[in-house]
Amino acid sequence: MNFILSSLIFTPLLAALVVLLLPVRRQKAIKAVTLLGTLVQMVLAILLYFRFDGSAFANGQQGYQFVEKLHWIGFSLGTLGRFQIDYFVGVDGISISMVLLTGIIGVIGVISSWTITKNVKGYFLLYLLLLTSVTGCFLALDFFLFYLFFEFMLLPMYFLIGLWGGPKREYAAIKFFIYTLVGSLFILIVMIGLYTSVIDPQATAVQLGLIGAGGTAAPNAILQVQQMLQQNMVSSADMVRTFSIPAMMEPANFIPGSLLHVLSGVELWYLPIRFIAFLLLFAGFAIKVPSVPVHTWLPDAHVEAPTPVSVLLAAILLKVGGYGLIRIVYPIFPDAGAYFSILVGGLGVLSIIYGALNALAMNDLKKLVAYSSVSHMGFVLLGLASLTTEGVNGAVYMMFSHGIISAMLFLVVGVIYDRAHDRAIQNFRGLAKVMPAYTTFVIIAFFASLGLPGFSGFISELLVLLGGFSAPEATGMLPRWLTVVAVFGLLLSAAYYLWALQRMFFGKYWIFPELRAKATITDLNFREYLMLAPLAVLALLFGILPNLLLDKISVAVTGMTQLTLQNGQEQLELVLSSLIR
Amino acid sequence: MTSIILLSIFGIINLFVGFMKSKRILLPLSLLFLAVVFGANLFSWNEAQSYFNHMLTIDNYAVAFTGIMVLATLLLLPFSQHYIEEANENLAEFYSLLLFSLVGAIMMVSYENMLMLFIGIEILSIAMYVLAGSDKRRLRSNEAALKYFLMGAFFTGVLLFGIVLIYGATGSFYLTDIAATAAVNDGTVNAMFTLGLLLLVIGISFKISAAPFHFWAPDVYEGTPTLFTSYMSTVVKIAGVAAFYKLMAAAFAASYAAWFPTLIAITVLTLVVGNIGAVVQTNFKRMLAYSSVSHAGYLLMALVAFNERSDASILFYSLSYALATIVAFAVLQYVSEQRNGDETYAAFNGLGKTNPLLAFAMTVAMCSLSGIPLTAGFFGKLFVFTAVVQDARLMWLVVVAVLMAAVGIYYYFKVVIAMYMQPAADAAKIRIGSFASFMLIFITVFTILLGIAPALVSDLL
Amino acid sequence: MNQIPDIIRTIPLNYYLYFSTALFIIGVIGVLIRRNAIVIFMCVELMLNAVNLLLTAIASYRADTNGQVFVFFIMAVAAAEVCVGLAIIVMTYRNTRSTDVQLLNNLKW
Repeated sequence: MNFILSSLIFTPLLAALVVLLLPVRRQKAIKAVTLLGTLVQMVLAILLYFRFDGSAFANGQQGYQFVEKLHWIGFSLGTLGRFQIDYFVGVDGISISMVLLTGIIGVIGVISSWTITKNVKGYFLLYLLLLTSVTGCFLALDFFLFYLFFEFMLLPMYFLIGLWGGPKREYAAIKFFIYTLVGSLFILIVMIGLYTSVIDPQATAVQLGLIGAGGTAAPNAILQVQQMLQQNMVSSADMVRTFSIPAMMEPANFIPGSLLHVLSGVELWYLPIRFIAFLLLFAGFAIKVPSVPVHTWLPDAHVEAPTPVSVLLAAILLKVGGYGLIRIVYPIFPDAGAYFSILVGGLGVLSIIYGALNALAMNDLKKLVAYSSVSHMGFVLLGLASLTTEGVNGAVYMMFSHGIISAMLFLVVGVIYDRAHDRAIQNFRGLAKVMPAYTTFVIIAFFASLGLPGFSGFISELLVLLGGFSAPEATGMLPRWLTVVAVFGLLLSAAYYLWALQRMFFGKYWIFPELRAKATITDLNFREYLMLAPLAVLALLFGILPNLLLDKISVAVTGMTQLTLQNGQEQLELVLSSLIR
Repeated sequence: MTSIILLSIFGIINLFVGFMKSKRILLPLSLLFLAVVFGANLFSWNEAQSYFNHMLTIDNYAVAFTGIMVLATLLLLPFSQHYIEEANENLAEFYSLLLFSLVGAIMMVSYENMLMLFIGIEILSIAMYVLAGSDKRRLRSNEAALKYFLMGAFFTGVLLFGIVLIYGATGSFYLTDIAATAAVNDGTVNAMFTLGLLLLVIGISFKISAAPFHFWAPDVYEGTPTLFTSYMSTVVKIAGVAAFYKLMAAAFAASYAAWFPTLIAITVLTLVVGNIGAVVQTNFKRMLAYSSVSHAGYLLMALVAFNERSDASILFYSLSYALATIVAFAVLQYVSEQRNGDETYAAFNGLGKTNPLLAFAMTVAMCSLSGIPLTAGFFGKLFVFTAVVQDARLMWLVVVAVLMAAVGIYYYFKVVIAMYMQPAADAAKIRIGSFASFMLIFITVFTILLGIAPALVSDLL
Repeated sequence: MNQIPDIIRTIPLNYYLYFSTALFIIGVIGVLIRRNAIVIFMCVELMLNAVNLLLTAIASYRADTNGQVFVFFIMAVAAAEVCVGLAIIVMTYRNTRSTDVQLLNNLKW
């Protein structure tokens, strides 16, 4: 067995333990340990990225790479079968990009946190815990394990915003907490429902005596179990229920007559129960994405959070939402995904336009960037809703590229805030004169974000829009006008970025008189170069050589998309037919 | 049975020790007694035996719940240290009453006969009436005792009338006989039986402070000295729920259809009233009272589910709830003492700076109560919810419970906010004994351990 | 000795049931509307005695001694309750000079 994934997850935790043992006043050592921990994690992530075989497609139980599976909690439920939670991690084309992103942003975040002075030990402890849980989220293949990391992520983030944040930090922290928590509780409900409906075919085969305990996966035995299950030939006591996501992805593993089986025929509020489950899960992840209308926690959280926390929040935490949609929601409920594509796509487009319009109206540079995040994450929803190969690839690419670019955006906002203790756009003019290097990075970040060709943002937006335009013919999902509206989002984003650029950086140098006393406007220092330059390089690199990433992700994403589409259309008919009966 | 006998003897010994000049020996002695009882109790594991003409049965169910209740008492007593420092003249009596009331609690989880249920409840309650009023110079404590006593006696009457009606309908006080009679009569013998069942449900609902019979709880919890509130909201509640489940499982399983609608209404009402009631409180202790009402709701959910997982879920939930509640009340004791009896959220301001240990233990406890992963409370809720969704028609109940859990986070985290994000009003460090700190650390570690490896306890039943 | 059950049985069981229920309800109403702690407590005792009466009647009708034994336990426990209860009422009286429960409103309901 290969332990690279576990080491990825637990390296930050190990560093956190070391930090915990260090005395409070050894601040340098604490920072060094954190940096070392994140560096190791990044190196591991890069190693994993290069060793990952992008040509394999994960379907069902097989195909995930570097899989680790250990029994964690399991006990008998008597006549109700067995309760089982596994420590089950693995990586495929969808998660590999996210892991790489986490590794990189983790290090950048530490560099950006170097100037933290308040309660250094607590800060870096929470920072490392946050990294552990995010990495765990991206690697977990057991729904329960995923949920555990997903929910645990809240706590460090809550304290990071609440303790190191701006003046309204309590409000922002609790708002963030409650929004995300309500979302994750929706997820919990569906998770429990899924758990009662799905069996692990391999473990059930062991239970039935078809293969010996500890036996390797035998495709025939699994098929046999699945057939027996669908013919009601497996007694309830022999069913080994599971939280395994790959098992949940196969319709054949659903217990006939169970709540979430396609033919259950259960209705709630005039919708099949599977659709309700989809909507609950979607709501849970959409809060995290965030999608309009549940995005309102994001600007507050960003405005109050310190720069490095904003970076983590925008670059990694938001991706968990999109990742959850791609990894969990669509493959498990493809039927509802097909049925609700207009809703998802519509919310995506609404986010794009509404986020962009809001960004246009903002005077606070950080709020502008926060709303641009809302707008860009809308593309993820749109690409996903199209269910075309291009669209979903674009969605994944968008998550990666937005991770890089939004980190950069928040960092440049942090730079000016560090100097002037203010970031209102109207308080600055002609900064290019005094901060030429800084202005260069700002221009790179802004242009990358608005989708200039040559930057990674362009590739992802292009793919998503291609997917959206081809969807009506290819998959019959989205009406074309929706994508047309999304294109206007691009125009708007060009507008707010260029306008901000023009107002703040061009013209004669001037800053608001009241700020002058406190502000020391100097150009970038070495530390700031160190965190901005790699991101700029990456944004360019993945913009010029998109195959660098697409080679690794496209096979898995394409496979997943086609499977979802195919299963979705088949199951949709079944679900609707079971209702008519 | 050994635990009942030992506790009675130890209680009497404690009273005699009270004659001695030094009160300092009482706490270590009581802890030792409880540890002995805890150990002796374990010997009955897997060795089910009946006593008193089958009126009591010490089976694994009884042993497990006895273990939890004794453990809870053992864990909450070390925080009574300041009672000793105040040189309270009735200290020995308080410790003895706690031990005696544990006897009642044990009878409540091991009864096979309604008589034993009644006596168990009374032994537990009468001791609690006294303890509620133990701070006799404070009017709040008087008032709590009087309310608790009058309401307790009243609902005991209701419970008894229920028992008599059941007796009239089935001719027996034995749970097995009642179950047999009910089974041959299709679960509903006659109107007398149904009415008796309803009164029984009401009587026990009062004891576990389930809405709408919870109205006494906030007042009594607030007025009672914090140490005994802690006992009341852990041991008394656990005993009540365990007795409730045992009653339903052993005597009224066949009458499921008769009590199910009532119980589900009580459960939903308890969840909603408990959580919403807790939101509006500004007093931390009163909030904990409402929170204990809401946790009665989660415990009742496992009872509503009524399947193979119910008892194990109740067991695990009880333990996780007890651990967290003990910490919450313990920290409250220290804080309110330092702040001249202030029990509001504001009393906790800045605790994270002055007393990191207290604040951390409290944070873990609040996480556990609100069901955040990697704490025992999360698995407690998960087990209860999984027990409930085995019946797909009860999915809506889980949805309600989950929403209420989200409400719970809001008020539990108010204190966390106060501790870490508010400036300290009183920068003085609170002094804690080393043994008490050790216990706090122990409980916190135990809570986290159960959040990582719940199988330690969840497999017991 | 066997005559007593016979005498009890000369009245139909339902009469005992109605009578006890009436007593019980009087007790319940008393608890709910009276304001004096001692009177409330007496009403609780009334409820317990309704239970005792019904237990005895049912026990004789069923010729089952269990019910009669139960009565003794209720009486014993009630006596213990009286001790504690009156002590609490006295303690309250010392602090408030009253047994009116309405005066005890330090803690809101």
